[in-house]
Amino acid sequence: MTEELYTITEKERKRMNNKLLQLWRFIILNLRILRAVDHSKRA
Amino acid sequence: MAKIAIIGAGFAGHTAALYLGDKLGADHDITVINRSSRFGYVPSWVWVGVGHMDPEKTMFELEPVYDKFGIKLVVGSAEEIHPDPEDQYVMVNPKDGHTQVRVDYDYLIIATGARLNFEGTPGLGPETGNTWSICTRGHAVQASHHYLEAVDRLKAGEKQTFVVGTGHPGATCQGAAFEYVSNIHKDLVKKGLRDKAEIIYLSNEPQPGDFGVRGVQIFRHGKVFTAAQFIGGILKEFGIVDQTGRGVKEVQPGKAFWEDMDGNEGETAFDFAMLVPQFLGTKFKYIGKNGEDLSDKLMNAGGFVLVDAIYGLEYEVLEQTPEAWPAVYQNRYYRNIFAGGIAFAPPGPISRPHVTPTGFKISPAPPRTGMISGVTGRVIALNVADLVIRGRMTHHERMTEMVAACIASMGDSLWDGSAASIVMYPVVPDMRRYPNEGGRDMITTHMEMGLSGAWMKRMLHTTFIHKLQGRIGWQFIPE
Repeated sequence: MTEELYTITEKERKRMNNKLLQLWRFIILNLRILRAVDHSKRA
Repeated sequence: MAKIAIIGAGFAGHTAALYLGDKLGADHDITVINRSSRFGYVPSWVWVGVGHMDPEKTMFELEPVYDKFGIKLVVGSAEEIHPDPEDQYVMVNPKDGHTQVRVDYDYLIIATGARLNFEGTPGLGPETGNTWSICTRGHAVQASHHYLEAVDRLKAGEKQTFVVGTGHPGATCQGAAFEYVSNIHKDLVKKGLRDKAEIIYLSNEPQPGDFGVRGVQIFRHGKVFTAAQFIGGILKEFGIVDQTGRGVKEVQPGKAFWEDMDGNEGETAFDFAMLVPQFLGTKFKYIGKNGEDLSDKLMNAGGFVLVDAIYGLEYEVLEQTPEAWPAVYQNRYYRNIFAGGIAFAPPGPISRPHVTPTGFKISPAPPRTGMISGVTGRVIALNVADLVIRGRMTHHERMTEMVAACIASMGDSLWDGSAASIVMYPVVPDMRRYPNEGGRDMITTHMEMGLSGAWMKRMLHTTFIHKLQGRIGWQFIPE
């Protein structure tokens, strides 16, 4: 594989465990999945 | 009054039962045939396999759920299917050992899940004692015992090598293997033992992140970002040795023998190994009214049920033919027979199959587990209900139209756990609708990693078990 691999920097590590930010990401992920499910059901 | 028989109460069969019970209720005769009296929530067996979840928390009794919907449960193994129109029935060997039970049907749904083909790789599987599995509840419990024995050896100061991945060049379910290897890593880090362990991810995927779906691509920071970069980066970050691109041919005590994409043979030594076997379909006897064998009309060589797919296409043609994927999961000859979840025969692989210079085929099979199983179960159930009520089907959903969300746990703690959350739309790339390299909607398709994924995974456990027990609001929770 010649592509650059995903690197977990210190900033990324903090972001991945920041409770408030992750709560926001949790909400967005749920909305994203629900929107995609709705889209695919209408397809 | 219509008679509907469902063989299998996994994600596809049980979902179908709930929707049919809801739509048709006690006015019609619905019978579920299942080997066990309980439903098992498969996705959480990853946690059972590292000793982090009580297996009983992943199971519930089916009968109380079915009683609410007026559905009968026969606990036993379906052996014969007699599909000829004048006399359609399934013969079942009941678990309690009494005489065979005949279940008549007007509509039949086959949702038997995977037949675990450990025999397809010499030396593979818990029966041999060489490798372990998390594909059944019993296997996951066994795997946890052997994993914790290896942990004890680490605590005693011994170095240990853990190998997790696929045990056959045609295996699927790489996502579960990736979850399991990530959970082992996290568990050993938490126990302060990670430095004494070597962990290897040994898989038939051409590269990490393929997962049998050709990987995914998204836009990230204005550039294309692939699952290979994402998952490859995670493996590197965790210090897990990447041995993808390998088809395991044989296992002996402490060693897995494989061939790689270039035709080189090699071996990987281990102290503990969990390798997913090839999944095949359940081979029933399909018997005509004159005793003739009807198998060729109903199943392929692997035991998967033939449905409304276009079979026999070369990969390059299949890649460009989204309509080759089934829409209603209905057998073409016996149009009152449907198959969902892992039981239906896909038209071919999603990931590009590879033949090595020695002629060895390494080809991850297309996944039909989890969300896909539930969706196919729902589509089939709604169509059968349509046929009963109005005489025609109104639902369809190909895997080239279906979304799937895969949450790969990488540590179950709700405080500092993590998961890789991947949304792919559609599951099977559709190069016509999405003429990009990945064949998918790159806005809806998504990948990320973080604590939110760990919360998501735990939420899925709770909400799915709520849904599958037919509790309040179950219809509003997506499959």
